[in-house]
Amino acid sequence: MGFGRYVTARVLWAGVVSLIITTITFLLVSAAPNPSVQEAATQAALQGGDPAEAAERARELRGLDQPLYVRYMDFIESVYTFDWGWSRSRSQPVTEALGQGLYYTAQYSVPWTVLTVLIGPLVGVYSAANMYSWKDHAATGFAFFGYAIPNFFFGIILLLIFGVWLEVIPVVYNTDVAVFSVQNAVQLSIPVFVLVTGSIGAVMRVSRNESAEFQNAEFMKTAKAKGVSPLRAYAYHVMRPTLVPLSTTLVGQLLALFLGSSLLVEVVFGIPGIGRVTYNALIAQDTNLLLGSTLAFTFIAVIGNLLEDLVFTVLDPRISYDDR
Amino acid sequence: MATQKPERFDQVDWTEISRSRWFDLSINSIGMLAAALPLLIVALYDWQVLDERTPTLEPVGPAWDVGTVDYLFIFTLLLFAFYIVLPLFQNPRRTKYYWREFKRNRPAVVSLGWLAVVFVGGIFGPFFISAPEQSILTGYQPPVFLSVEQSYVSTCVGEVVNNQCQGTWQHPLGTTAGGKDVFSGIVHGMTISMQIGFITTTIVATIGITFGTVSAYAGGWADELMMRFVDIVLSFPTLLMFLLILYIYGAGLGMFIVVFAAFAWGGTARYVRSKSLSISEEEFIKANRISGASTYRVVRRHVVPNAASSIITQLTLLIPGFLLAEAQLAFLGLGDSTIPSWGQLISAGRSDLSFAPWIVLAPGIVLFLTILAFNFLGDALLDALNPEAEAENA
Repeated sequence: MGFGRYVTARVLWAGVVSLIITTITFLLVSAAPNPSVQEAATQAALQGGDPAEAAERARELRGLDQPLYVRYMDFIESVYTFDWGWSRSRSQPVTEALGQGLYYTAQYSVPWTVLTVLIGPLVGVYSAANMYSWKDHAATGFAFFGYAIPNFFFGIILLLIFGVWLEVIPVVYNTDVAVFSVQNAVQLSIPVFVLVTGSIGAVMRVSRNESAEFQNAEFMKTAKAKGVSPLRAYAYHVMRPTLVPLSTTLVGQLLALFLGSSLLVEVVFGIPGIGRVTYNALIAQDTNLLLGSTLAFTFIAVIGNLLEDLVFTVLDPRISYDDR
Repeated sequence: MATQKPERFDQVDWTEISRSRWFDLSINSIGMLAAALPLLIVALYDWQVLDERTPTLEPVGPAWDVGTVDYLFIFTLLLFAFYIVLPLFQNPRRTKYYWREFKRNRPAVVSLGWLAVVFVGGIFGPFFISAPEQSILTGYQPPVFLSVEQSYVSTCVGEVVNNQCQGTWQHPLGTTAGGKDVFSGIVHGMTISMQIGFITTTIVATIGITFGTVSAYAGGWADELMMRFVDIVLSFPTLLMFLLILYIYGAGLGMFIVVFAAFAWGGTARYVRSKSLSISEEEFIKANRISGASTYRVVRRHVVPNAASSIITQLTLLIPGFLLAEAQLAFLGLGDSTIPSWGQLISAGRSDLSFAPWIVLAPGIVLFLTILAFNFLGDALLDALNPEAEAENA
């Protein structure tokens, strides 16, 4: 199988996965009684009307009287045409609400991802190069600390120290400042720090253990014997093969963290991002918005996994496409 | 037992080893059955005969209403005792070897000690320490040796020195805003954490091992299909799906455990599959097959034991994720509010953090240490149980 065919197959597969997850979402939602139908019935009963009739009308209005497969086709069609309905709690289309959330989420998740991807492997390879020195132990200790401390717990502690006691950052995220301003950088520094601490540990550990193998490999000895500078030797001969196994776990881990942490960190720091939108939709019983954000996160995850696999094949040309 | 010293060929108890009929059970399985059957009977009795409001053990004495999660927990504890702890006693030579390997990693030994504390505290603690109770008057009591300004506390249990309410041994870790004792909250939270850890692990191991071996032995398109299914399971956004289920149907601790376990076995299945495939090529499996062993027997006696070390390691590293997810949900106010978990305590103290930090810090640090301990333990088990991996990490 050539590269082109592999990419096509992989993209098709991503489409299938997203379709399956969307289907499960649909089944979950359609199996439950619709809260707005019950609401209509209660409303009618309170006003002296016939609750059964009101419920029937509400069902008709929302197209719930149609057979399951018709509703399913409608649902799928609207999902893939980004017609995600109207958010009741925010009085705006769901896609617009999510877009606004994404704007704030991107402001901290882009620096977070870049820092993790840059610093993690560097520190990992560095501590492998200085294995069992105090630097290595310090890095390992930090990795375990970051990995084990719950993000939200760490977040509220830092918020207490820097927000309440030292008053360096605002307790609730200030949306009025410009995106590229010092103020914004300062108030986002703590959330980014919390997230980087949480995600960098795993990256450091994997890159440390993987690169330890290449330290004493024959090609490293050859490179050193030929007088290649240590920096170049590590950059070309240790870092690159290390990135291959790392990339298989990196994206998945970052995404898993992103799903959970964005919710928690945004709630702790009061950032009105996409996690916060999801949380508020849940609290406000806004079904459309909750569905929309679930789908948004799902698509982000599917696309992330797709990119991971594609990057993997580019990084390591040795792997044949037939194996996967 | 003769199998304890298999150094000499003629001393091997062949009837012990060549047990092949399925009804000829090992001592472990007999013990498991003997313990699990009464449990099943009690559970059925509780489900069918007793009405919902009567606590299960009322006819006997204690007013402990055993719930579904409790039954599952006891069942998994029995599994743990008969298939993990008992074999360690049956084979002391191997146990000693593991312990020697394990002991070299000092942080892991400390971690094991901490987890033992959590384990024992979680199982026996609730019988000695009563559940934290609401009492508004004694809210915000500081931990022992610490003090808080009198104005925050309505009734100070300890002494008041210089307008500062002192902590007492009555509430060693202080109390929450509602006057709930933080220490007993932490002890009861250990039970919840152990329940989450044990039950999810059992579910994940059962599904993962079954799926992995079936996939490996089915081969062909069935294998392909099953592995693609694993891909989907692995890329499933579990937390979000749980939020959706929570929103539509409402969910307690049992639902949490089932949903998170149902989407966490993908990695285990993948691993077991690749291990089964590689082991089935080994000479001893061929010898086994020629001697007439069935596929089930090969899987049960050779594939699973050979993969066990890595499965256990992987499961150890999965547990902290579940504990964290529960704490996160509880913190968001979306967890099961009827249970006294650590996350509930953390979220209860969040708004009072500036003057009563112990409410958040105590359970938060316990949670942190537990997650850390599981990670250290998983790392050390990787080295101790799997000598091949040692070469990489040493």
